[in-house]
Amino acid sequence: MVVQLLVSGIAMGFVYALVSIEYTLIWNSMGLLNFGHEKIIMLGAYIYAGTMIMDMGMGYISGIVGAVFLVAALGVVVAVGIFIPLRNMNRLCAIMATVMVGNIINEAVRLFYGPEAMTVKGFMNGMIRVGGLAIARAYIYIIGISLTIVILLEIFMKKTKTGKAMRCVASNKTAASLMGIDVRRNMAITTAISFAICCILGIAVIPVFSVSSTMATMISLKGFAAGVIGSFGSLPGAIVGGLILGIMENIAGMIFPSTFKDVVAFVFLIAVLLVKPTGLLGKKK
Amino acid sequence: MLEVKKLNAAYGKVHVLHDVSLHVKEQEIVSIIGANGAGKSTLMRNIMGIYHPKSGDILFHGESLSKLKTDQIVKKGIVYVPEGREVFADLSVEDNLEMGAFSRKYSAGKYRDLLEEMYTIYPRLKDRRKQLAGSLSGGEQQMLAIARGLMSEPEMIMFDEPSLGLAPVIVDEMFDVILRINKEKKLPVLLVEQNAFAALSISSRCYVLENGVVNAEGKSRKLMDSPDIKRAYLGG
Repeated sequence: MVVQLLVSGIAMGFVYALVSIEYTLIWNSMGLLNFGHEKIIMLGAYIYAGTMIMDMGMGYISGIVGAVFLVAALGVVVAVGIFIPLRNMNRLCAIMATVMVGNIINEAVRLFYGPEAMTVKGFMNGMIRVGGLAIARAYIYIIGISLTIVILLEIFMKKTKTGKAMRCVASNKTAASLMGIDVRRNMAITTAISFAICCILGIAVIPVFSVSSTMATMISLKGFAAGVIGSFGSLPGAIVGGLILGIMENIAGMIFPSTFKDVVAFVFLIAVLLVKPTGLLGKKK
Repeated sequence: MLEVKKLNAAYGKVHVLHDVSLHVKEQEIVSIIGANGAGKSTLMRNIMGIYHPKSGDILFHGESLSKLKTDQIVKKGIVYVPEGREVFADLSVEDNLEMGAFSRKYSAGKYRDLLEEMYTIYPRLKDRRKQLAGSLSGGEQQMLAIARGLMSEPEMIMFDEPSLGLAPVIVDEMFDVILRINKEKKLPVLLVEQNAFAALSISSRCYVLENGVVNAEGKSRKLMDSPDIKRAYLGG
């Protein structure tokens, strides 16, 4: 029982970590909190389940590639049309705009795919037996996919020219442009990567939450909390915060009634904010 | 090479530069001196496209820069070493240098040669190439900012208050390097400095900027002997 809870805790922890990474990328690059990210995650799941699998009858893998590509392209459009022009505006207006982008996507999805929830039959289903334990295959996949994304992203940011340029833009926009970096183009690439991660997230949690308009509400809130718990704006902080949150709420589910599961995460968030506002990995100011 | 024509520019809502004209010819070092708030940095930032002028024009090789974005101006071959160094603190020294070459597509060999050249000018950077730039001292950061600028093999380089906040020994060393770059690479230099004596000593010509207006210009040696300049900027 404990091992199963640990595995599902780690899996959900990675989901929170990825959510945190996905909005951290946009925050670092543009100073914008993308509160529409929940709907992007959901959109990714709908495009995969509704369009790629059901309408077009694609395979699991080719469907994922297609959906990620589409959502990333949407990221470029949103960045160029909305995020980049908005980033120098009053922060409240900018945040409202990201919420509105989310609402537009939400309504568009409802119109296009209908109000009913859907699932993808047989996708990441079943159990894996290790010794006497049965572990849901979906959790193993989620851990595998998340680790791959984290490692690829780390290599991209540390080794490639575009990735290093993204770090320059995050650290000093004027200096970045003085290096000849096209800051706006770089921001559009960052948004595309962030949206792609959202899409993969949405697809990865289909076996756990199935596809519905509110499927990503909780994970996007907790992903936000994970970032704050770890250290806001830092990638290692996101992973540490996510894993702590995921494991803790699952273990807490053993002790308290499971309806309190979600409360645990937010109580912990408030506790961290009171004791160490910069997050567990954050530097003291 | 570079020509600024009747430039009018604002910083926020304040009109800072009034009909400023200046030029830089091949291979020369030109300095701009003036008190705090005279508009020196605003002028530089307008040349680099960080701000855009209200009127007037900036020509580089006869081509107007005033509508271009910063990254496009860098690709034209002008490099600006900003006030306060502005190195990328979370990147290693070597990554900072690599970013300096962002606008160019070098072969691996050419890139390595350039990197080696920077490390010969500043051996201290080689010792620290794996360190984060944020952990360097002020003087080392200034070295890094200069080397980073040179990595794109510019056709002209501009320095904004390079001596600010540095120890006198390091300031001398840095001006030596600027002279050396100018001689060896035949690179024209536009230098903005509050340290008027140093600026006049290394430059061939100088512009004096006061409240956004060019008040005097001419050969640096002549300006150094002018009583007005002596009184206002050289403490004598």
